[in-house]
Amino acid sequence: MNNQEKYEEDLLKKYINPERIEMAPQGFTSKVMERIQLESVHEKVGERSGKKSFVPVVSAAVTVILLAAAILIPGSQTDSLTPAVLKLINNIKSLLPELSISSMFRLTLPSVMMYVFVGGLVLTIFDRALYGIFHREDKSKVKS
Amino acid sequence: MDHKSDIYYIEQILCGDSNVFSHLVDRHKNKAYNLAFRICGNHEEAEELTQDSFLKAYRSLKSFKMKSSFATWLYRIVYNTTISHVRVKKKGILSLEDFPADATDFIGTSTSEEEAEKEYRASLVNFALQKITEEERGLISLYYYDDMNTDEISEVTGITKSNIKVKLYRARQKMQEIIEKAEKKKLIYHE
Repeated sequence: MNNQEKYEEDLLKKYINPERIEMAPQGFTSKVMERIQLESVHEKVGERSGKKSFVPVVSAAVTVILLAAAILIPGSQTDSLTPAVLKLINNIKSLLPELSISSMFRLTLPSVMMYVFVGGLVLTIFDRALYGIFHREDKSKVKS
Repeated sequence: MDHKSDIYYIEQILCGDSNVFSHLVDRHKNKAYNLAFRICGNHEEAEELTQDSFLKAYRSLKSFKMKSSFATWLYRIVYNTTISHVRVKKKGILSLEDFPADATDFIGTSTSEEEAEKEYRASLVNFALQKITEEERGLISLYYYDDMNTDEISEVTGITKSNIKVKLYRARQKMQEIIEKAEKKKLIYHE
């Protein structure tokens, strides 16, 4: 007689009633579904924070490019863009009150710093705008 | 009553309708919970482990190849999750002294003597299950409660058919021994 046949005259069969299975507690399905919903919200937030962490990388890359351009492109080089940029800078300068930081702090700043300041200002505005867009998107998606 | 197949729901989920997963949970929760409970022997842990298993199944639904049935695939997840949990958290050894002498101990909670006897037997089985290894508990549960044959058990557990037969035989022997001891204790108690 093999084991399989022995099961037929099994004492356990007298004790184990397959009808008496332990039932999952009340609200089990909703608990599982809640965990799934929570998980998918976390995943979405994770994806978006991944996108957000991309913003400073872009800002840093643009800053580096601007700095490199300011250092490498000679001032005498004439093209269509440079005079326009210089004109814009001069316009901004004329709008600002006459303040000579160099003379105030007795510092000698390289001319390239002008580009850095303007670039920094533009990037800050750009960064705030992007942050605003992503942040608003987050809130609306989490609510939905 | 919902008669759509598991495959239909799986396809809906894979198309992006995650809410449909609740139908699969509703359909399989009791058997999955029963398997987890028989292995770990604790209702709170069984609930947590069954929930975890459903979550794992949901996350890995894309990798479900549909070679086996969804139920078999889910039981495999429940079985592995529970076995790993119990292996990490081994329980203290129970003594036969901890077990009630006979069905009269259950009369207060049951409506009739017959019900009390059924309760007594069910508790005795649960007690005996705790005296065997977690792997054997899983096999006993799949064989007796889910009425699976050795081929199906092999699919769920990954254990070979011949090994299942040997392990089931040993587990059954151990449990019978415990039950017989408890029955003898019952006789002594009544003399």
